[in-house]
Amino acid sequence: MTIELLLLCTLAALLELDTTYVFQLTFSRGLIAGPIFACLSGDWVAGIQAGVFTELLFADVNPLGTILPPSAVVCCAVSLGLHMGGTEMCLSFIWGVLGALLFSFVEQHMRRVRANLLGMWENKIMQRPSYIKRVMLMELSGSFLVTFVFLLLFTWGAGQIMLWLQPHISVRALFACRFAYMAVPWIGLASLLPEFRLKRR
Amino acid sequence: MTFTQQLGFFLRSFFLQTGWNYLKYQNLGLFFVMWPFLKRLYATDPDAIPSVVTRYLSTFNTQPVMASFCFGALARQEEFLAQAQNMAQFNEEFAEWNSIKRGLSITTASIGDRLFWGTLKPCTLLLALFIWILLKINVFEITPQPQPPLAYTFLACIAAFVAFNTLALFVKWRGLRISYTADEQACFGLTQFDWNRTIYNAKKIGLVLVVGMILFGMYNYLKAFNATDLQFITRAIIVLFFICISFVTQRLRIPNMYLYLLSAMIFNIVCYL
Repeated sequence: MTIELLLLCTLAALLELDTTYVFQLTFSRGLIAGPIFACLSGDWVAGIQAGVFTELLFADVNPLGTILPPSAVVCCAVSLGLHMGGTEMCLSFIWGVLGALLFSFVEQHMRRVRANLLGMWENKIMQRPSYIKRVMLMELSGSFLVTFVFLLLFTWGAGQIMLWLQPHISVRALFACRFAYMAVPWIGLASLLPEFRLKRR
Repeated sequence: MTFTQQLGFFLRSFFLQTGWNYLKYQNLGLFFVMWPFLKRLYATDPDAIPSVVTRYLSTFNTQPVMASFCFGALARQEEFLAQAQNMAQFNEEFAEWNSIKRGLSITTASIGDRLFWGTLKPCTLLLALFIWILLKINVFEITPQPQPPLAYTFLACIAAFVAFNTLALFVKWRGLRISYTADEQACFGLTQFDWNRTIYNAKKIGLVLVVGMILFGMYNYLKAFNATDLQFITRAIIVLFFICISFVTQRLRIPNMYLYLLSAMIFNIVCYL
């Protein structure tokens, strides 16, 4: 586990807060998070590509109502974390997408836990309304911590698997993954066409 | 509403979704945003505070940018509630408060989701892509490329960030003021903007940008056309295949990420056959 990985996870956990919990100023978009993470490695092309591909791939899932889209920050952080460790982008991006999918379940679980604690918090707020500040602070620090631990464990685990797997990956498999990776922007762009369909009211 | 109050609402509104839960959604956030205003309003009547807190801790869910319309309208209605002279008037104002909290949150969520998540976000993504392409950074190319300067990398990010947030923060700030001053007849200020026209025009721009991007991507591959180049033919087939299959999966409501993971698996199987 390197200092770069720790820095990446800290930065990603901070940016992930922007997705739902605070600001929503779009710092957590793949488009912005990808190049920010690339500051750690200096590989700007990989940063831009991870960001753009993530955003295009997840463009068809919007946070409407209770829908929870996969995290673009987690996808970019895992992809670029593994890429910094020497894994090719076409392989690390698969891990990134899997990480983002898995993180959705973690996030859902956090929201369920929060719903269970709600009664207790509401009672405390009723007794002392200014307690809301403490609740908000606990929520933010809890979310940061869970995201940080998830990213650290997942990226480190995926890195270890890739270290063991990489010598066994054949040229054919690498080609297959490259083709799938190459298809990502096309899948994304094609899904944007129906998003922009025009319906006059 | 004074400037300081508006600024307070505005800054606290960034924390609306902190504490999002499956039981009452943004209730903790709503209370956090409204609390300083409520504390000042009921400073001379502390006995009313428990019932006020209970009301604001009930279920609430809307789009975070458009939520400012709800804050302004709720603040205004809360003033009427606090000034109620008798029980009948209080009940009448309370019914109005309830309808604002439920009805307005649904309307604003619908507009906000369509405008900010469904249109503006993909439009700004395409804007950034075009800027990178103009700066000779080809995001379609997966083979190694020379590293662009730092300024080029962040120029497109900043453009997308500014384009999205200029509109979002403007709506957030203005929404507070106009929903506080407008009444139910003016739909709490919502009618001051022509939302449908804005969304329609933004979608029109988005459609032009996405078609342009697809055409550019195709040109990018075609310019190196060589009939005997097997890699070119394979690439062209894959691109066309995925554009077609993406339309099918959209109809079947299968998310893109599953299509990508499935394609990685299928390509591996094909390569080993």
